[in-house]
Amino acid sequence: MKKKEYSFELKNRLSELDTLCRNLEKYGRQIGLSSKMIFELNLALDELFTNIISYGFKDGEEHRVRVTLTPEKGVICLCIEDDGIAFDPTAFDHPDVSCSVAQCKIGGLGIHIIKKLMDDICYERCGNKNVLRLKKKFGKSAS
Amino acid sequence: MEIIEEKRDGIHVFKLNGRLDSNTSQGFETAIFQAIADGSKKIVIDFKDLDYISSAGLRVILKATKAVNREEGKIMLCAMQDYVKEVFEIAGFDSFLPIVTTMDEALKEL
Repeated sequence: MKKKEYSFELKNRLSELDTLCRNLEKYGRQIGLSSKMIFELNLALDELFTNIISYGFKDGEEHRVRVTLTPEKGVICLCIEDDGIAFDPTAFDHPDVSCSVAQCKIGGLGIHIIKKLMDDICYERCGNKNVLRLKKKFGKSAS
Repeated sequence: MEIIEEKRDGIHVFKLNGRLDSNTSQGFETAIFQAIADGSKKIVIDFKDLDYISSAGLRVILKATKAVNREEGKIMLCAMQDYVKEVFEIAGFDSFLPIVTTMDEALKEL
């Protein structure tokens, strides 16, 4: 597979989840990803993007979140950059997901899902930016 | 996302069509909590035409299940596509939410 980068920007509003989905479908088909792979990349990026725009910006201004996908040998690399407040999702513990309806707490669920779906997650604060790099192996199944 | 509501022998059925994410979950939360407030105690959520769910969707399902359980009612979830079911499994929600394969099974359980 030829190394080729694919990058796009999303505005900080929830309706941009549709743009995320459209872009992933388009790019995924171009490089021959399975529909399962596209679904799982979409879910991981959705959880991250939703977190960023829900908690990252306090100034009421428009911001851009940059998403970059790079296929490498046997791996898809994702990078998400935003200029919101510093937040390291890798620092969160797994919630207890083996519980009953009454006991189940829902905090941290999105991050738990991201950790289950991806093979590698690395956070860096660069200047005023959060930079999160994720890797997912081809053929890795979350379940 | 489209939400179709039906009543079948006193059972409130929600058919979800499209994508249940943080952009659409609020609309579904409003609809299902309205039904609970109006006294619906037997609810089926039909996932047959739902292509996608994120943790925001799971949260609404969990919240509604807790609310219905408090009223001594019951919610059944049915006909999930494989990828959607997998999200429930990753979250561990399949261990305590009643998920069945077909609408008939769901209706029979209520």
